[in-house]
Amino acid sequence: MAKKVIYYVNQFFGGIGGEDTADFEPEIREGQVGPAMAANAALEDAEVTHTIICGDNFMGSNTQEALDRIEKMLEGKEMDLFIAGPAFQAGRYGVACGNVCKMVGEKFGVPTLTSMNVENPGVDMFKGYTRMMSGHNAAAQMRKDMAAMMAVANKMLRGEELGTPEEEGMFHSGRRIEKFLEYTRENTAAYRGVQMLIKKIKGEPYQTELEIPERDVVPIAEPIADLSKANIAMVTTGGIVPVDNPDRIQSASATRWGRYNVAGLDKLPNREANGYKTIHAGFDPAAADACPDVIMPIDAMRAYEKEGKIGKLHDYFYSTVGTGTTESEAARMAEEIIPYLQEDGVDAIILTST
Amino acid sequence: MHMKLTIGNIHVKDVVVGSENSFKDGVLTIDKQAAIDYLMGEDDHITELDIVIAHPGDDTRIVPVIETIEPRVRMDDRCLFPGVTGDLVPAGEGELKAFKDCCVTVVGKEWGSFGDGVIDMGGEGAKQTYWSRLINICLVGDTDEEFERHEQQKMNHALRWAGHRFAEWIGKIAKDLPVDDEEVYEFDAITKREAPKNGLPNVVAVLQPQSQMEALGYNDLWYGWDMNKYLPSFVSPTEVFDGAMISGSFMPASSKWSTYEMQNFPILKELFAEDGKEINFIGVIMSNLNVALDQKERSAIMVRNMALNLGADYALVTEEGYGNPDTDYVRCMVILEDAGIPVVGVSDESNGRDGLGQPLVVLNDKLNALVSTGNVGELSDLPACATVIGNLEALNRDGMSGSWGYDEVLGKSARDDGSIIMENNNWFCGNHISGFAAKTIVEW
Repeated sequence: MAKKVIYYVNQFFGGIGGEDTADFEPEIREGQVGPAMAANAALEDAEVTHTIICGDNFMGSNTQEALDRIEKMLEGKEMDLFIAGPAFQAGRYGVACGNVCKMVGEKFGVPTLTSMNVENPGVDMFKGYTRMMSGHNAAAQMRKDMAAMMAVANKMLRGEELGTPEEEGMFHSGRRIEKFLEYTRENTAAYRGVQMLIKKIKGEPYQTELEIPERDVVPIAEPIADLSKANIAMVTTGGIVPVDNPDRIQSASATRWGRYNVAGLDKLPNREANGYKTIHAGFDPAAADACPDVIMPIDAMRAYEKEGKIGKLHDYFYSTVGTGTTESEAARMAEEIIPYLQEDGVDAIILTST
Repeated sequence: MHMKLTIGNIHVKDVVVGSENSFKDGVLTIDKQAAIDYLMGEDDHITELDIVIAHPGDDTRIVPVIETIEPRVRMDDRCLFPGVTGDLVPAGEGELKAFKDCCVTVVGKEWGSFGDGVIDMGGEGAKQTYWSRLINICLVGDTDEEFERHEQQKMNHALRWAGHRFAEWIGKIAKDLPVDDEEVYEFDAITKREAPKNGLPNVVAVLQPQSQMEALGYNDLWYGWDMNKYLPSFVSPTEVFDGAMISGSFMPASSKWSTYEMQNFPILKELFAEDGKEINFIGVIMSNLNVALDQKERSAIMVRNMALNLGADYALVTEEGYGNPDTDYVRCMVILEDAGIPVVGVSDESNGRDGLGQPLVVLNDKLNALVSTGNVGELSDLPACATVIGNLEALNRDGMSGSWGYDEVLGKSARDDGSIIMENNNWFCGNHISGFAAKTIVEW
């Protein structure tokens, strides 16, 4: 039986109209609309059964609602592959394609495929969540981008293993996953390591199993012009929390964080006083439980505030656990914390670690 | 001039508990009551012990797993673990007999801790650890170590020592048995080597065992010595095989080296396999993984200088851990590469649940030959097993490194129906960094 594909396009490629119709609310139509027609023609043993159309503005300004509605539209529909785009260099369309593909992959467990240009902001945001072709920058190249994407689509529908991203014309996903090998001596890490060493000794080619990725180096911030007027916030990865850990932050591999009001406190009461403690599992907690200020120095900051050295200590401190916590989770938590700091006009942050 | 260690292997087809100690037709029988009496007699802190056998393929989940050890006997009757189960004596030469295809598995009856793990003997979870390929002689117990009952970090001293004594006690059954095959490891004094071995590229192994806990009693021991209060030393690989080192209780389970892994260290065995053929294996620099920066740098400097002074041309570096230990792992490889000693590294990665996180906490472009054995963050979601050895609730309650009691999306790790959801972190030695891993990381 022919396999089923569902397709996503924006208002422009869906034939609704241009920028003036970008608020078009999501709609599902039977059959193929716009690029879905060319896609359908290129499919070997599959058909595009439905096309979803959604305005870029609507998706951009009501993202969660749009995704929820699309999820409902897809419920109960047969789907072996979901395709979106190509989005070329159109930023909002690219982000929309990424968002929809990510949602479909997560909610339905169905493989997804899209295409966009390297300059599209959707690339970095979503290349880890969907198969993504490296497309051209303008719709004039639709035919080429479509042909490349459909070649991969047919492979995915056949269940064929894809080649390298370079061979397929795709972006690297950057997503690293475990692969179990048949249990033989040759497949053990011990054998692989020693044989890799022998190849390195002999100058023969070998493949490292972890290519060192390009590093995301954050530049050091500009100095504060007048510290005596600055609003300073304290953030820690040292796991200082109220003794009952109300936000249930994990002791390792944290995905959760909390903010705790310290307005009026000259120092943090300790564990014994039913105040604060550390839940960090990566070090001996005795010193921090006895005196939480050694990790979250509210005492020193309050003294600076009274001396006039700093203008103000922000009323909350923010806490999570750094041990085993991934860089991606840490970045997400930071993005969640930042709006609170911005709202209070925080000028600088002191990040304490352990 | 050499250290020669001979390990006579006796393959075990089955293990049963009974009322005598014997080995017939491949079946190892353990006198259960005598074992329990002996082990409880050795340590007043043990309040409860049971011995349960789990076989490969059984629909059985074991948790919290504290330690695994290979049952062995020294033919000269000395202890298996000098400075741990008996007097301090030199390890690394002599004759041993080992019961193969089985292990002593130490299990908390009620309570787990940060470094304890999970073993699934059957189903989809079986592929996650090497232990599912062995007959697990589970020593399940509880103790009166009240001071740490509700602590996330536990020394688990009474149960760990009971495990080592039990492996030794079972091993004695092997004393007069014929062996099925023999492994012989000869480590020649490195200044007395001759051509053609002397002349091949000189390769040193750098091992970084776990020593992060500042408080003593949680770290790996070297001849009974806590490796937090230790500096890198030059040792023979045969000492590692012969019980000079035992595993500790700290470190997320999947990145741990158990004592069984030290006794059988696959990376060292593979280096021996090439010794005299492609390489001249000049031994092990045994380092550590302390947490303070000066301690890290001191160890790295000493590893580098020892490697240079030994005349190492190449090195293979491996770490027992991830996260903070990555700084030691990467620093050590970089300082060796800078000294003109090219390196291969073996470790796991921490890519997060979505696989998109930075794999090691520090990275360096000089690392161009790395082996990856797993991702501590990958999730396992598995159905209930018919039998649980230990206590599933430990997953929710005791702060094990890869499980939790509450998550608004995922729920708790050990569900009421016996199914589980947890991170790779919890599989006991699951990433088998010592070299057992038949697993790698690929780009999705």
